Amino acid sequence: MISHVVLTTGLLLILIGLWGLLTHRDILRIIIGFSLMGTGTHIATVAIGYVSNGTAPIIDRTLDVSQAASRVVDPIPSALVVTAIVIGMAVTAVMLAFAIRLYDSKKTLSIDAFMDSKW
Amino acid sequence: MTELIGSILVLLGAIFHFSAGLGMLRMPDVYTRMQAGTKASTLGNTLVLLGLAIYQPGWGLKLLIIVYFVLMTNPISSHALARAAYGIRIPMAGGTGIDALRHARRNPGGRK
Amino acid sequence: MIQRLFAAAAVGSLGLVFASLAVGYSEQYSLRPLAESYVRLVPLELGAPNVITGILLTYRGFDTLGEVAVLFMVAAGVGLVLSRQPARGRASTKMRSDEASEIVRTGAEILVPLICIFAAYIIMNGHLSAGGGFQGGAVIASGVLLTLLVFPQYQPNLEFLSIAESIAGALFVLVGVAGLITAGGFLDNRIFPLGQFGAFFSAGAIPLLSALLGIKVGCELSVILERFRPQKR
Repeated sequence: MISHVVLTTGLLLILIGLWGLLTHRDILRIIIGFSLMGTGTHIATVAIGYVSNGTAPIIDRTLDVSQAASRVVDPIPSALVVTAIVIGMAVTAVMLAFAIRLYDSKKTLSIDAFMDSKW
Repeated sequence: MTELIGSILVLLGAIFHFSAGLGMLRMPDVYTRMQAGTKASTLGNTLVLLGLAIYQPGWGLKLLIIVYFVLMTNPISSHALARAAYGIRIPMAGGTGIDALRHARRNPGGRK
Repeated sequence: MIQRLFAAAAVGSLGLVFASLAVGYSEQYSLRPLAESYVRLVPLELGAPNVITGILLTYRGFDTLGEVAVLFMVAAGVGLVLSRQPARGRASTKMRSDEASEIVRTGAEILVPLICIFAAYIIMNGHLSAGGGFQGGAVIASGVLLTLLVFPQYQPNLEFLSIAESIAGALFVLVGVAGLITAGGFLDNRIFPLGQFGAFFSAGAIPLLSALLGIKVGCELSVILERFRPQKR
C-alpha cells in the first residue's frame, strides 16, 4: 500500500516536471522542471524496491544477521539512487552556468529571445 | 494516557502546518507570505516533535536536539530571504503602513 | 496555443503509460535473488553492517568510480563556462552593502562548526549506519555554501581545493589497484583486516574509501559553488 502511494507520487512528479518544462518561457523555470523530473524518477525508483513489512538494510541491535535476508527492503535501488542524486545536482549546476551565460549575452531570461539561430 | 496526549499534540502540529500552507496561498505579497509560512510551520514542527517525544519517551533527548536545530535554522533562513527580497526591491502590498527597515537605515543608531 | 496542445498531448500520453505502470505494479513479498545474495554476502564477506555502503563501495565500486569521474568533468565544465577575468586586488569598501545582517551572521557562526562536525560523523559512520561518502560530501558543501553567502570576503583557496580533490581521486584509484594486487579484485576491500563486526575500524578499506569519497565530493561541490560567485568589477 505504501509503495503504491510513493510510486504514484513519483510518477506524478515526473508528469508535473514535464509539463512545466514544456510550457514555461523563463529559463530558470525550465531548469526547475528538469530538477523536478529528476526527483520524481528517484522517488519512483526507490518505491519499486519496497518489500512488504520490510525495514532498512542496516544490521544493528534491532536487526540480526540471520534474519536479515527475510526482513529488509531491496538495497540495490537505494544504492543506485544515491549516485543519481549527486549527478542530478551536478547536471543542474551545468545548466545554471549556461543560463548565466545566456543572460549575459542577451540580458533577458526568456527563451523566446534565443529561438532563431544567428548564422 | 501518554499516547493520547502525544497524539493530540501531533494533531495540533498538523493543524498549524495546514494553516501555514493556507496562509502562503492567501497572503497578498512576499513578506506576509514568508511571515505566515515561517511562524506557523516552525510551531507546527515543534508541536509534532514534542508530541512524538511524549508518545515515545525513549527518544526524548534526540527529538529535543532536533527541535533546537529547527528553531535555530528556520527563522534565520526566512530572515535572510526577507532581507534579500527587500534588497531587490520587491513591492509591498497595498495596505502597508510603515516601512521600519527604511526608517532604521535612514537614521542608523539614532532614536529607536 | 498549438504549443500548449502539443505539450498537453505529450504529457497525456506519458501519463497513460505511467498509469498502466502504476496499476500493474504489486508489492513484492520477498527479495529478488540478487538482492538476497547481496544482503547475505555483505556482512559475511565484507564485514560491513550497512549493506548499501558495502554495495556502493565494493560490489558496484566501478559505478562509484565512474560517478567520481562524472563529477570531475562537471566541475571542469562549470569552470570553463563561467571563467572570467580573475579579480585583481580586493575592494574592501565596496563590500559593505551586500554583507549579511547580524542575525544571519551570528546564526552562521554557530551553525558552520556544527555542520562540519556532522559531515565528518556521516562520512566516518558510513559503514556502520546510514551515511557514506556522498552524503557527507554534500553536507560539507552546504556548510561552505553558508559561509560563502554570509561572509562575502571569504575566499576559499581554489588551488588547495583542486589539489585536494585530485589527490583524493588518485588515492581512490590506487586503493582499488592495491585491491587488485593483494586481494580478490579491483576495489576489493579486504586489503585491510576485516576487524570485529560493528566496530569503528572494521570492514577493511571501506572507511578509507568513504573518507576519500567524502573529501572528493566536498571539494568538488565547493569549487562549483565558488565559480558561481559574481566577480568584482
